[in-house]
Amino acid sequence: MKRESLFMTRIYPVFFMVVVTVVFISVVSGIYLSTKERVLLNESIFQKMAILYAAGIDFPEGKPQEIQGIYEEKVMEVEASAGGDSQSGAEAGDGEPAYYEVELSAGETGYVVFTSGAGLWGEIVAAFGFSRDLSTLTGIEFVEQNETPGLGARITETWFKEQFRGKQGPFVLVEEGTADDANELDAITGATRTSNAVLKIANEVFEVAEEKIGGGR
Amino acid sequence: MPARGKAKKTFFEPMGKNNPVFAQILGICSTLAVTNKLENTVIMSMGVLFTTSLSGFTISLIRKLIPSRVRMMVETLIIASFVIIVDIILRAYVPDIWKQLGPYVGLIITNCIIMGRAEAFALNNPPGLSLIDGISSGLGYSYVLIVIAFFRELLGTGEVWGITVFGDWWTNWSIMIMPPGAFFMLAIFIWIVKGVLMRESEEAAK
Amino acid sequence: MNSATIPIALFFAAIFTNNILLANYLGMCSFLSVSREIKTSVGLGVAVIFVMASTSMLNWIVYYKILIPLELEYLRFIVFIIVIAAFVQLVEMIIERVSEVLYAALGIFLPLITVNCAILGVSLFMVIREYSFLESFIFGLGSGIGWFLAIMAMAGIRQKLKRARIPHGLEGAGITLIITGMMALAFMGFSGMLPIG
Repeated sequence: MKRESLFMTRIYPVFFMVVVTVVFISVVSGIYLSTKERVLLNESIFQKMAILYAAGIDFPEGKPQEIQGIYEEKVMEVEASAGGDSQSGAEAGDGEPAYYEVELSAGETGYVVFTSGAGLWGEIVAAFGFSRDLSTLTGIEFVEQNETPGLGARITETWFKEQFRGKQGPFVLVEEGTADDANELDAITGATRTSNAVLKIANEVFEVAEEKIGGGR
Repeated sequence: MPARGKAKKTFFEPMGKNNPVFAQILGICSTLAVTNKLENTVIMSMGVLFTTSLSGFTISLIRKLIPSRVRMMVETLIIASFVIIVDIILRAYVPDIWKQLGPYVGLIITNCIIMGRAEAFALNNPPGLSLIDGISSGLGYSYVLIVIAFFRELLGTGEVWGITVFGDWWTNWSIMIMPPGAFFMLAIFIWIVKGVLMRESEEAAK
Repeated sequence: MNSATIPIALFFAAIFTNNILLANYLGMCSFLSVSREIKTSVGLGVAVIFVMASTSMLNWIVYYKILIPLELEYLRFIVFIIVIAAFVQLVEMIIERVSEVLYAALGIFLPLITVNCAILGVSLFMVIREYSFLESFIFGLGSGIGWFLAIMAMAGIRQKLKRARIPHGLEGAGITLIITGMMALAFMGFSGMLPIG
């Protein structure tokens, strides 16, 4: 009977596991903490990029400083309490602006609002850009979606988003590649439900915009 | 065998005859999902490469200290740690792609290849060789997926790495970006490779 | 919690249109090897349903009640795997004590399940899609049943295949993957079935 067997079979494994766990978790945590700020910065830039994209304003990708600069120059955040009618008071509590007033290319004013709706798998959150009279879309950008990769998730592809520029509601869906009139939108082949979800959000956003921006213009 | 020769053998074996993906169909789970875009596949492959090589190296480093009872738990812990590191780095430096990769980065942990190599190789070989073995398993795995991704993106969207290659004359084979396309591509790939390998061994047998 | 998911629709979606294996590529390793035999496929399939449904609930609790309050979400990969492994270990022990028959039928599959990417995958999807507790359970249960359906169908088909002449290079993994592709295609046809949208 070896003396060491109690130590080896009972205590050592536990001790070993604890040490290894502590070492590895520390290393992981260290890396996490050192990148935390960067992650937060990325997320705030992500939001800003969405607003610029929806407004149709160009910006250099991958250059946070410049994006920040363009954002500050062209976008004005409008809080819920200032302007807009009382309906938008619901937003007042969460610190997020009710809408964004944007300087479009020719110096005219446009607006961007965020809206969300049910997608197939989860919420779809998108930014919609509007012309001054809130009748025409300047563009859209998706901020959050959990749709099926390769199918529903294709709503984030450039061709799908670009088609919204200059379009006017109320929208109808047509077969992919055949959209012509200002109220027609290409659906995504094989992603009927997601396409319908986006259609619904797009048709409802005009009302949302009126509510949030209407009074304060 | 002199050390140099052994290192060379260790490097080339997993890439060819013993290529983990086609010979053993291990680990296709996670990555087939991202093969609809070449860019995502390359990033994912880098993540897998990082994990396979470093976990092999680390496990090999402490292999003499690991009590056999907790062997699998320790291996899992080490692999999971490296995967988390990959996840954190991706999130910080390429957030768009990170979002597209979704849960599949985390699923590198359950990738049978990594655990398989740890058990089969890293536990019984010195760190240097284990690192090489990890790198080459990772590379062997990556090249299969990159080939599949190349065809899926090209045939499915007419683009490669987001750059249009086929013009308007091309009708997209939508099936390629959907799951069935991935399965078919992998099957075809295996068929071709096996065909080539079998012919080789028949020649050798003559 | 999100407004998108009506429980029954989520359930059917998890089984058919967003089948964890045929649409999300998860759980392939064991699927490819075990589907050779119908009997073992049943055993593994049932075990998967049970483990998936249970661990999605357990991981939900751990994630929302422990990890988030402590701001440790980034450790979820490790924690989820530990929960899954521990749960499987526990269940195996219990079954072994309680029923020889059940152990013989199911117990041996349990270790195989621990590394089944589908199990971890379900928990990860749950986090990404921000499901509620109930939704996690339904999603886990549905995904398990979907996986079970896929492996049963595959096992049945492979039985028939034994009499077919398959090109040499496609034997084994090759032909199985092609069939999986066709099944995935077929399951996509279920899309029109669901009531939403």
